[in-house]
Amino acid sequence: MQLTSRNYEADSIEAVQELYHSSGWTDGLPIVPPTPESVKACLDWAMMPPDQLIGIEPVRGLAITAEKLAVNAVMAGCLPMHFPVVVTAWTAMMQEPFLAHGATASTGGCAVLVVLNGPIRLELGATGSFNALGNSDRATAVIGRAIRLCLINLMDVRPGVIDRSTLGHPGKFSYCLAEDEEDSDWLPLHAVRGVEREASAVTVMAAGAPRQIMNEWTTKPEEILETFAAEMRANMRHYSIHPGNYAIVIPKQLRDHLRAARWDKKMIAEFIYARARIKRGEWREVGKGAVVKDRADKEYAAMESPDQLLVIAAGGPAGGFGAIIPPWLGNKSHAVTLPMGVCVDCEPPKE
Amino acid sequence: MSFIVLDPTSEKAAPAGKTAPRLDALAGKTVGFISNGKKGTKGFFGHLERMLREEYGVADVVMRTKSNYSAPADPHIVAEIKRWDAVFSGIGD
Repeated sequence: MQLTSRNYEADSIEAVQELYHSSGWTDGLPIVPPTPESVKACLDWAMMPPDQLIGIEPVRGLAITAEKLAVNAVMAGCLPMHFPVVVTAWTAMMQEPFLAHGATASTGGCAVLVVLNGPIRLELGATGSFNALGNSDRATAVIGRAIRLCLINLMDVRPGVIDRSTLGHPGKFSYCLAEDEEDSDWLPLHAVRGVEREASAVTVMAAGAPRQIMNEWTTKPEEILETFAAEMRANMRHYSIHPGNYAIVIPKQLRDHLRAARWDKKMIAEFIYARARIKRGEWREVGKGAVVKDRADKEYAAMESPDQLLVIAAGGPAGGFGAIIPPWLGNKSHAVTLPMGVCVDCEPPKE
Repeated sequence: MSFIVLDPTSEKAAPAGKTAPRLDALAGKTVGFISNGKKGTKGFFGHLERMLREEYGVADVVMRTKSNYSAPADPHIVAEIKRWDAVFSGIGD
């Protein structure tokens, strides 16, 4: 296997860190030295030649190759077994509906949320339980970080260069979680979104920071979900009114109440779709009266349809803490779900 | 202990577009504007249009707005560019 990346020699681990930091190749945290051996190990694991084209960034025509993804994945701390998830996430990000350039350059400052589904979660030890949106496990930590390092180094998504975020959010270091599929009989996210349930899959979404809610004082589905819908209404009032892919993360304690009442993901999405709505005139109450104009009575829904809501089961076993995760900006970017190990846009072999 | 480590960047410049030849003068030319659609472009581009017409004698100014301010210009706008002598493109943040 012949790698083509330029080689550098460094005398010590400290020298490696300084080389990468001073070249603008990191997120500010120390990196794992990407040696030819470690990069080859990732490519071997994924059975990919170094020059395999993962995608072409559609705005500037940047080619994303397996070798370069592997270099950055190693830097992020990925083991070879994590690498296929990074490849699938990037394949998804290169699909046109994701609008990777806009989503990663915008002043809006979103991050790429990565959701893992299927058997790969168990193979990697990503459980979607305690601290699901934080430092829950090694796999989600390093996979999320790899996405960001690849953006920095392969698309120049550096602060003040391509990344024009006003604030950004902590998920821009790493924003990856696994769905807890074992604890419920709900259809996992990838199956809801059309992938075979038995397959492993990755969903990417251009996502704002999570907004946490709490409701531990009811067992009624309508009341639990009203709290989620209210937080979405708050986001529509304070951030963006436009419909798009929202995600909600429902922890075990609240899932148990919903399941006891026989609510499935479809019913949840339909309820939220009906309740997460505001009138444009509400913007007057939050300092945005200047743009209400003659549309005060116009009603806006958080999603164009219930299908746009990504319902994710995740979180530790105790606590009525859930979260809504808003889209970067309405429908500018669409969440993309891809099964792992599937060729996208491949042409059939020529006879 | 020494390390051999690899460059994490793409190492290849993005395929660059070719800059159009500079115009000697703007008088009598057609100039296009491509707005990203944000509010801030309205006043600024309007002011530039007045300057171009009144101070530089530009014959015609064409204003176009992208349908999605976060995506590349729509194909029909890109197709129009070849009929213009110069183009301004900008964001309105």
